[in-house]
Amino acid sequence: MGSSDLPGKLRGQDVALQGMSITYPNGFTAVQPTDLVIEAGEFFSILGPSGCGKTTILRAVSGFVEPTAGKVLIGGKDMAGIGPNGRPTALIFQSLALFPLMKVWENVAFGLEARGVSRRERRKRADELLDLVALGDQGDKRPTELSGGQRQRVAVARALAVDPAVLLLDEPLSALDLKLRQHMRTELRAIQQRTGVTFIYITHDQGEALTMSDRIAVMNKGVIEQVGSADAIYAAPQTAFVASFVGETNVFSGKVIGLETGEKGPMARIESPLGPMLGRNPAGLSVGDAAMLFVRPERMSLAGPEAPFGNQLRARVERRDLEGPFVNLFLRAGEQELAMHLTNAGDAGQGLHGEQTIGFASESAIVLPEGTLAATGREMAEHV
Amino acid sequence: MTGSWSNRLLTAYTLAFLVFMFAPLVLMIVASFNDLSPPSVVDWRGFTTKWYTFFWDDEAVLRADPVMRSLDRERIIGCFGNSLLVAAVVVPCALVLGLAGAVLLTRWRARANGVLWWVLLSPMLFPGVVLGLSALIFWRELGVNAGLTTIIIAQTTFVAGYPMLILMARLQRQPSDQEEAALDLGASPWLVFRRVTLPYLAPALASAAVIAFLASMENYNTTMFAKGGACVFSTEIGALARNPNGHPPIINAVGAAIILLTVAAALAHTLLQRREMRR
Repeated sequence: MGSSDLPGKLRGQDVALQGMSITYPNGFTAVQPTDLVIEAGEFFSILGPSGCGKTTILRAVSGFVEPTAGKVLIGGKDMAGIGPNGRPTALIFQSLALFPLMKVWENVAFGLEARGVSRRERRKRADELLDLVALGDQGDKRPTELSGGQRQRVAVARALAVDPAVLLLDEPLSALDLKLRQHMRTELRAIQQRTGVTFIYITHDQGEALTMSDRIAVMNKGVIEQVGSADAIYAAPQTAFVASFVGETNVFSGKVIGLETGEKGPMARIESPLGPMLGRNPAGLSVGDAAMLFVRPERMSLAGPEAPFGNQLRARVERRDLEGPFVNLFLRAGEQELAMHLTNAGDAGQGLHGEQTIGFASESAIVLPEGTLAATGREMAEHV
Repeated sequence: MTGSWSNRLLTAYTLAFLVFMFAPLVLMIVASFNDLSPPSVVDWRGFTTKWYTFFWDDEAVLRADPVMRSLDRERIIGCFGNSLLVAAVVVPCALVLGLAGAVLLTRWRARANGVLWWVLLSPMLFPGVVLGLSALIFWRELGVNAGLTTIIIAQTTFVAGYPMLILMARLQRQPSDQEEAALDLGASPWLVFRRVTLPYLAPALASAAVIAFLASMENYNTTMFAKGGACVFSTEIGALARNPNGHPPIINAVGAAIILLTVAAALAHTLLQRREMRR
């Protein structure tokens, strides 16, 4: 990244969806009635599996899709009847959609051309923006002559050239390889902080959402299931879908058989196939409710003599995958498959075979109403 | 063994296909160099290039030849000029109309698109006779006499279909992302069209222009009915060919020249494309 300050005066604006829903002419409702406020200058991610409606929300904010009901407000102003070319937004397409027949600088300056800025002024401003994304010397090339990461940055510069109040990004990193993707996360975050523009970032990659965002909305089947900070989404999911979509988790199903009061709040005990288990009960479930208990693999441990677990079970070690700093253990207890992460503090769990006693603290588990789970990697692979 | 049997059948079919396609052309070209009218390849009367030089030889030379004496060279050349004139109007009109149709059908999703597609393409599917006659009758009612104007109108209605199909194919291959991006950056629809859509379509427009030109030049049946007293090259060739004593070999010469031009154009196109690929 260049160290120069961003030219121009950019300032983010807030975006509000008020009871907005979108139904396509074929009758498919892509977005159920949604209320959402995205603060000015926020890096806001919408996270969800493909087909969940997240891109439709983005297109509604940018003006390519009109809401079937409800409103989109940007900076407090109702956007009804205002097309994409009249809104203070800029969209970065998944395909980037650079203009292949124009030079890089002409791409960046296109928005200024549309505003009738003189050619010399356009070139000057384009070069400033290219400097900002560390492509100062690439202006006279064609987009096809650049690498994937460079094209990515051209798309960012082109979008910033129109001084947008809201930058909309539609999975812009999905075409890049892993290293570059991680690097671009840092760069996008830096650009966002330097410009103060509101970023709405669409992704199905939880890593991107968790690392970059101020807040995240997790979406499934046209419904935003939860909005919160990365920490809140990860540590305190509110639905079964959020718990299973964000991060890895172990799930135990069963009816609530008892309520207790823990040190940090209400607890619920469920009757799982592996016996009773206790976890936090933020949703206020009652006895008899169908429930699911979730616990993260890193919260599970091997039972030592001095470890008093709230929940304990016997499981057989089936596989051990060494990741380096930690080890993934895959276990089976009856029909139930379990995953746990061990920190690699020495022998990396090499001696673990056969039946083991494992457990987790009640405070590490969370009991939620029974619901749809996100597809696992294996299920997704089977559907392809 | 069945493999070699089916292979032999395929070879025989391919050979037959090539013979049916090229033998008449070869005969036509050979006959164009035979000093005999009507043209023949079996009755060889000696090599001549006079059926080619007919178009620029001295009047005296023509008057000395019993066959060429009877031909109206000025008229033939004049009709050819008319063909160029008609094409010069038909091609740009067909490009504009075809482009409008292609953009409409690929970029503006409307419920009527299915019907519209058929409406816009139907002139290509109508019998040319119907098209020519209806243009003739309709415009006469409006006080436009049959002639070059009605030829242009009648041709444009069906020639426009070719550019539309070619441009639609090109537009369908291009997702609308770039156009949406341009619109999103604040461009008016006209600027999007001028700066993004049109440059992308330029190569397809060039091919469409060539196809439209050829379609206009070679059209006979629609033109025949719309022409009234006027003539163009195709109708004039047709008139010469209907000579009860057999057609003069200058038609063969013209045919040979057209083949030569077509092959040269195809070669040039291929070479250009190959150079483009290498870049």
